[in-house]
Amino acid sequence: MRSKTFEVIRFETMRQLKKPAFWAATLLIPLLIGGIYLISFLSAKSVEKDPVLKEDTKIAITDEAGIFNKETPFLVDVDKDAGREMVKTGKVDLYFYIPKDFAETKKADFYHISEGLDIFNNDANILKTLLSNEAASKVGELDTLALTGKYEVTDHKLNHDGEDSNALGKAIVPFAIGIVFFMFVALCGNRFLLNVVEEKENRISEMILTSISAHHLIVGKIIALLILSAIQILVLVIPIAILIFVNRDSQMISGILNMIEVEPITVILSALLFIASVMFYAGTCTFVGALTSTAKDASSFIGPAIILIVFPLYFMQMFMATDPNAIVQFMTYFPFTAPIALMLRSGFGTISTLEFCIGLAVVAVSAVIMTRLAIVTFQKNAINFGSPRLRSRRKR
Amino acid sequence: MKNIVEVKNFKIGFGDKEVIKDLSFEVKKGEIFGLLGSNGSGKTTTIRTLLGLYQPSGGEILVNGKKFNPENAEVTIGYLPEERGLYKKETVIDTMVYFGRLKGLENPEDWSRKYLKRVGLEDKENEKLEKLSGGQQQKIQLGITIMSDPELLILDEPTKGFDPMNRRLLMDIIEEHHKNGAAIIMITHYMDEVERLCDRALLLKDGVARAYGTIPEIKKKFNNKSLDQIFVDIYGGGYAE
Repeated sequence: MRSKTFEVIRFETMRQLKKPAFWAATLLIPLLIGGIYLISFLSAKSVEKDPVLKEDTKIAITDEAGIFNKETPFLVDVDKDAGREMVKTGKVDLYFYIPKDFAETKKADFYHISEGLDIFNNDANILKTLLSNEAASKVGELDTLALTGKYEVTDHKLNHDGEDSNALGKAIVPFAIGIVFFMFVALCGNRFLLNVVEEKENRISEMILTSISAHHLIVGKIIALLILSAIQILVLVIPIAILIFVNRDSQMISGILNMIEVEPITVILSALLFIASVMFYAGTCTFVGALTSTAKDASSFIGPAIILIVFPLYFMQMFMATDPNAIVQFMTYFPFTAPIALMLRSGFGTISTLEFCIGLAVVAVSAVIMTRLAIVTFQKNAINFGSPRLRSRRKR
Repeated sequence: MKNIVEVKNFKIGFGDKEVIKDLSFEVKKGEIFGLLGSNGSGKTTTIRTLLGLYQPSGGEILVNGKKFNPENAEVTIGYLPEERGLYKKETVIDTMVYFGRLKGLENPEDWSRKYLKRVGLEDKENEKLEKLSGGQQQKIQLGITIMSDPELLILDEPTKGFDPMNRRLLMDIIEEHHKNGAAIIMITHYMDEVERLCDRALLLKDGVARAYGTIPEIKKKFNNKSLDQIFVDIYGGGYAE
């Protein structure tokens, strides 16, 4: 016979996985991310910075400023109105007019037929490309590079010992773990709360506690909800990872990927902190659920806990200081603020391994205490079915 | 007959109010025991303490000589509480199978389908519980209560809200379990049910036993009046609180 805790895990996991609402909530954010990516991808396709001319595009330029070589094929010797007429009659597709005082006004005109909103049309940049090419043909390669600014300056940061300092690269892993924890708080916390309250709201607890102890029931529920949270976060993280992989050759993504510096001790400690923090928050939500009778009561209790969890984010700058003040010290070791505070200080490199381990121990011990409190409270409060029923209980 | 439940000098209170003052009684193996009293007399509190949901402030309640613990209980208990509740968003079969597994049934799917057929709900197995009527939900809850053939059945107002036909069905199920050797504690306000089913009974008033014994013994003590009349006499003839 399988253990009762396993049966609770199976039931709680499967019943959530069967609900369309779970998948709607889970897939909403990845779909939004995908949609935004698709729109920006399509927009980027439309808004080419350096548009390429189609072979059959007919261009005409009136160059009163005399920038172009006289033998340039698309130069025409007509005034602006005549050029405009050429577009109207379809003799040319694109017409540019560079006035005589172009050097002073820095303004040229562009005429073309437009249909619809045409907001992504960037054909005006064709003139810029042609002018750059013209300028480049008149001066040397280095001068062009110097003028266009199309070159990279590699930033070499050094620490006080004169070695390469890659503070940002080292911060990426702790911050990424912090973001996943934040996602857990935002997406999954409420489910822990409501799942326990449901036992009382539906008046099941009285019957179920004759078949299973409060300990096994609560532990089973917490494990099931952690599995569901992992599914929800993975559904969110995997598309992001795929997007990063697909775009790994892009300058920005490859820059970030190359920058990442993995220090095994930091990764291990950050992972342990993540697990302890998730357990602490899950225990807290379960405890509040066990303490209250209705979802409404539970929601008003959990609000302050969430504020405390994200509180360190409001003091971000303080966590950058290598010499932490009393507020930072307090938030580092206070169980509710410690998860984010430790992740921030680890990311900024302003905490020693010993301090981190002490903070981690505080969160881990608090997680055990909260889970234990949740079990004891559920056992004692299991038949607190809300105020109207409390009145009837007093009568008896 | 050996005792399956022993209540010894049991006391419990909430806040300043002492709900049970000093209660002692036994339930014997294989008997149907009626726990009677008006609303607020302490019946449900006694049962909840027996199940470990409340802690007594004095005395003790033992099941087979030990405090009840669902994880290593020597006696299997089926409890139908007065507060009726189920996972409303789940299907009938999923809920029954879940409880069946928690109660250690070998094949909860088969058992549940047979039970649903017996109570005329075979076409409802994939319905969500919230779609069922109150009476139908009660049948499901009764099924969950009896599904592991418990040695001790505790039924708190089991026929409350049932129509006469379903009440009859429930009585048959109770009698069937009794024949199979289960001890049954029944909390009810229907004295005809007590007369028909119970071997012995206890009448509680203000946390104190006012009458206790076999049904003929109780009747004899009250000049062979009907149980209905005895109930009215004990509770003062007025409306119960």
